[in-house]
Amino acid sequence: MQQTLFAGILVASLATFVFSCYRRLALVSVGAGEYRFDHPMTRLKEVLVYALGQKRVMKRPFGINHGVIFWAFLVLTLANAEFLISGVFPNLNFTLLPPPLHGTLSLLFELSSLATMAAVSLAFLRRIFNPPYEEARTFEAFFILSMIAGLMAAYFGVHAAEIAMGEASPSFSAPVSSLLATLLGHTPLAGQLPVIKAVSWWVHAVLLLSFMNFLPYSKHMHILTAIPNVFLRSLGKVNSQPREEFAEGRTFGASTVDRLSWKDLLDSFSCTECGRCQNSCPAAATGKQLNPRMLIHAIKESLLGNGSSLPSSADAVAASSAASLIGKGEGTVSEAALWSCTSCGSCMESCPVFIEHLPKVVKLRRHLVEMEARFPEELLNLFENMEQRSNPWGMAPSERSKWSSQLDLEPFEAGKTEYLLFVGCSGAFDARNKQVTVALTKVLDAAGVSYGILGKDEKCCGESVRRLGNEYLFETMANENVNQFRSRGVTKVITQCPHCFNTLKNDYRQYGLELEVIHHTEFIKGLIGRGSLKVKGGEDLGRVVFHDSCYLGRHNEVYEPPREVIREVTGAAVHELPRNKENGFCCGAGGGRMWLEEHEGTAINRSRVKEALDQKPATICVSCPFCMTMFEDGIKEFTGVTTQVKDIAEVVAQNL
Amino acid sequence: MIVVACIKQVPDTTQVQIDPVTNTLVREGIPFIINPYDTHALEETLRLKDSHGFKAVALSMGPPNAEAALRKALALGVDRSILLSDRVFGGADTLSTSNVISAAIRRLMDEDEIGIVFCGKQTIDGDTAQVGPGIAVRLGFSQLTLVDRIERIDTGARTITVRRKLEGRYEIVEARLPAMITVVRELNRPRYPTVPMRLASAKAEVERWSNEELKLDVNSVGLKGSPTWVSRIFSPQRAQGEILGDGMNDPVAAALMLVDRLVEGDLLAV
Amino acid sequence: MTEPKKIKKPRGKARVVTGKCVACGARCQSACPVDGVEMSEAGEPLILVEKCIGCVKCVKACPAGALEMFYTPEELEILAALANKGEEELDEEELARRRLVDSYRGVWVFIEQNSGEAARVSWELTGVGRELANSLGVELTAIIIGEKIGHLADEAFSYGADCACLIDDRVFSQYRTEPFLDAMCYLIGKYKPEVVLMGATGMGRDLAGAVATRVKTGLTADCTGLGIDEKRNLMQTRPAFGGNIMATIMCDRFRPQMATVRPHVMPMPERRPGATGKVVTESYTISESSIFTRVLEVITDKSGKDKVDVAGAEFIVSGGRGMMAKENFGMLEELADLLGGVVGGSRSAVDAGWLPQDRQVGQTGKTVRPKIYIACGISGAIQHLVGMQDSDVIIAINRDREAPIFEVATYGIVGDLFEVVPALTNRLRELKEA
Repeated sequence: MQQTLFAGILVASLATFVFSCYRRLALVSVGAGEYRFDHPMTRLKEVLVYALGQKRVMKRPFGINHGVIFWAFLVLTLANAEFLISGVFPNLNFTLLPPPLHGTLSLLFELSSLATMAAVSLAFLRRIFNPPYEEARTFEAFFILSMIAGLMAAYFGVHAAEIAMGEASPSFSAPVSSLLATLLGHTPLAGQLPVIKAVSWWVHAVLLLSFMNFLPYSKHMHILTAIPNVFLRSLGKVNSQPREEFAEGRTFGASTVDRLSWKDLLDSFSCTECGRCQNSCPAAATGKQLNPRMLIHAIKESLLGNGSSLPSSADAVAASSAASLIGKGEGTVSEAALWSCTSCGSCMESCPVFIEHLPKVVKLRRHLVEMEARFPEELLNLFENMEQRSNPWGMAPSERSKWSSQLDLEPFEAGKTEYLLFVGCSGAFDARNKQVTVALTKVLDAAGVSYGILGKDEKCCGESVRRLGNEYLFETMANENVNQFRSRGVTKVITQCPHCFNTLKNDYRQYGLELEVIHHTEFIKGLIGRGSLKVKGGEDLGRVVFHDSCYLGRHNEVYEPPREVIREVTGAAVHELPRNKENGFCCGAGGGRMWLEEHEGTAINRSRVKEALDQKPATICVSCPFCMTMFEDGIKEFTGVTTQVKDIAEVVAQNL
Repeated sequence: MIVVACIKQVPDTTQVQIDPVTNTLVREGIPFIINPYDTHALEETLRLKDSHGFKAVALSMGPPNAEAALRKALALGVDRSILLSDRVFGGADTLSTSNVISAAIRRLMDEDEIGIVFCGKQTIDGDTAQVGPGIAVRLGFSQLTLVDRIERIDTGARTITVRRKLEGRYEIVEARLPAMITVVRELNRPRYPTVPMRLASAKAEVERWSNEELKLDVNSVGLKGSPTWVSRIFSPQRAQGEILGDGMNDPVAAALMLVDRLVEGDLLAV
Repeated sequence: MTEPKKIKKPRGKARVVTGKCVACGARCQSACPVDGVEMSEAGEPLILVEKCIGCVKCVKACPAGALEMFYTPEELEILAALANKGEEELDEEELARRRLVDSYRGVWVFIEQNSGEAARVSWELTGVGRELANSLGVELTAIIIGEKIGHLADEAFSYGADCACLIDDRVFSQYRTEPFLDAMCYLIGKYKPEVVLMGATGMGRDLAGAVATRVKTGLTADCTGLGIDEKRNLMQTRPAFGGNIMATIMCDRFRPQMATVRPHVMPMPERRPGATGKVVTESYTISESSIFTRVLEVITDKSGKDKVDVAGAEFIVSGGRGMMAKENFGMLEELADLLGGVVGGSRSAVDAGWLPQDRQVGQTGKTVRPKIYIACGISGAIQHLVGMQDSDVIIAINRDREAPIFEVATYGIVGDLFEVVPALTNRLRELKEA
């Protein structure tokens, strides 16, 4: 009777669960195509390390807590499978296994359940007293935690009652249940043991099936999607942006869910709302509207809201009938939020399930720029300047080589000069950064490096316009550069700017141009290492802090070379900032923000400069012209500060 | 009703430099752009198209490569772009330019009524501000120069009210339509083309009218129809920056030197 | 019968002198009678040697001396032989030109006035007009059109005019293009002056362009230099290509020769009170009902002082980080008031909350082009420079000699702005009160 009833409930529950999952996951298919199945073995390895190994989860406080629950869940999956099967076929259970194996399993289940109870309680308390972010105290969160705790309690209830009734014997393989059974025997409930067992059993059954059926409708969907999402992650760093095909009749960028890729949509179902992205986001930290977690959430809301009415895998040709993702209210992101992204990548770096926020921001920006020509006022000038004069300020291109007029530099010529020194717009036009360029040439000359420059013929790499979503203009600029590099036979490039570095190295690859691109900090490190460059060393620069450039560090993982160069020069290790390397905090200029006013909240550069000044440094070392400008500007806000901002190249040049 | 934007493709003068050795113009690689003031004329034309449903036409006289500017106008949203190009139009000064442009507008008038002709207040290569008034006089249109705001357009009464920006004052002026309006930069903020419009404009037709269509007396156009001609071009004396006095130790003397320089140069309004 | 064949003068071929072309707009192509000039993408000519007939028209048309004639050695020999004989004839065109030119006499200056108050530029023009009239040996006439403007005649005489021609009527009480255009054309038709000068102001440019078109003559805008050549022609020198080059413009086949001059370009002539001259009062009236343009309202800047327009200002005093505090901007305000200008600032001054956003000059603020830009305590980061580097005169006041602002400054003072600015203000006030 009970078995038949349960069998009915189980079948119905499983059917609903499967249907729910299908209904939700099928929505992902409205997204545009994207290939994510290359290198399957590598992908499996990533799953082992990051999903099963919880490597990223563990990097933040309470990560261990999640790890415990996760691994316990894996173990308990077995227990629950047995539970469900034996519910229908009571004789089909683990007692059929050889006793040692059964005993081991039982012990594992007991310990896992106990650990889960503890971890869940801790999570419960954390959420009350110290939540990861204010809005994390949701009913859903507490409900799920209670459910899990309830499941564990019911598990113990069933087994304790069984032992107390003598259906099973107390043993070391069921320490918790045995203890509970003993305790039970001493309470008035001792006479109600069969009832306790039955109630516990049904509570466990109902909770388990409810939990399963609740999953697809909650943020705990990630239990199902996180592992596939890790499998499908971008194998390389997400430091480039996809190209667009500029053909008539197409739409560009994305303003609706069906213009995002299916992986973008799967990302939205994989979000655990852990809040790590928003806690590391420089825009969110300084009071801007952007919140990377809410961006992903909005995509999910929008997909759930109108995904079912959309055709699957629509090509970006016909107009979409879906509601816009850009705007106000549920399921949308505001324009101001989109424009406040610095593209620093800290959200992606901190995401335990490898959600790729940045490409989504850029796709939405592309829609605004390319389809609607709607963007902050300041950008009109920028775009026109880039298009007409190939530099952000609209300076005459003939002035690009002015910085070198007093120097005796070679023009780049394949065969005669080995490296191209790609100066970049800031290094060529901006007064402060011109000093860095000159310092760099001094260093290169001292080491006898064979290099040349393009002079007036150098063009802007287009990095900012790409991150700002003007892919059409970027395409033109990229083609000009790629053609020039090809026709001049450029193969090895030294860049002074991490933004040029990333674009030449990673973006131009999409145009079939493979260059050996080296940032000057790496190059200088190599020169010192090979003994080609002698630095005096031991120079007392006082306390030196180093600020990681997002595009050199996080996006390209060049963390050590600048630190090693500083160590060579000063003889001492750099003093690390609280947020450093992959956790480094953006200066505020990336993602095209360099050319935008910061109207909302407080200034990002001020916040970062304060962090640096709190370390009482004599010198703040940077490796990026944008960082240089942001720090030089920001430091002026603090009175009575004598701290200097220097590029690594300058520090080296003054110690030759 | 048609609204016409007259635009000119000009060399980007901010990029023009004088070779210090040969004392000649370095023009290598200088791009051509739409005269910046004309972009505002174009924008206002498009705004009237959007708000009043007028037909927007962009008009330019120039060499065949001026087609690029007209194509950009198409990308921004004008309905038609017409290039007035003919060998006999070459070397024109402002008088013969206004002759060709007004002939083209007259030809458009055969098709539909003209409401407003917009021009930039001047070009950055010539800086003359004369073609606009020339067009107004030749066509008998109301002439409204230096407009920084359109107050209202009454298509029923055929009047337009604008604000003109003059030295130290503004004038609110009402005039009869059709009108020729030259615009200043404060009038509007030009739009940026969308990618679909850019792609479409790459294929769209830029009409080409030569003197075969306009049928003007060849002695009234181009170099022959130009009363003025350039007899000589030379480099200006460039004032190098000058650091005045010793401001650190004697700021007052430095300030006095500065005022003297300004008075000598007659730069002060006081 | 074979007459001794007259030696035909070799005509040579035109060719391009490299590096001199300014891409003026295909004057050479237009001048060529045989379609022998092709223009390159860059706007430079390409001479089709096989078509060239050596007429020299393109060479004459070129303003930049970028075309020349070249001859084969044999041709050069013949030329040398011919030159020994020596002969020069006047062509028909030149004769017609001389007849036309001779029928126009006199230099005119249009006196721009507003409610009976003359614009300063009118007297500056009177000064330069006096010199031109002297060179030509003709009278200088001041053209004064308006309502109740009789008193301006005496003023014109005091600045050097020989004669004042007045049209005084209600219809001219405020400037409108139509009536002024009609009146000017009437006067030009009647008196045939050879030179007409106007101020390159909003009004002057509006009127000059219209007048030149109606009387079908040449007009040269924004002249910075005016002179007379040996053939009584006006040599009009003006900047072109955004001031990168100077061009001398001629209008030798048409009369009158018209030119405008920007205010403050010509020196103010000395005033000689009590000077007299001939007054000609013309009665030219137009019925109000035939004019379709009405000035509904005139708004002077004073009434809108709160709404400071940095972009359109002629004098800007800007402050940057070096101003130290909001209170110190009062000092700049004072200086700006004296100059009749406005206060602007760099991004850091705006970021610090010392100035409202709409006063920001630079990449992400306003682009300005005033007559004088005074940068106080602004280091001159590129983002600021691109917003103000086209100003006519840039004055930099900064303690740091190495500040990039000095690279673009016309005049720089290296010093403490808190000492320099008050000294500057005091000196200007003295001048104003004097």
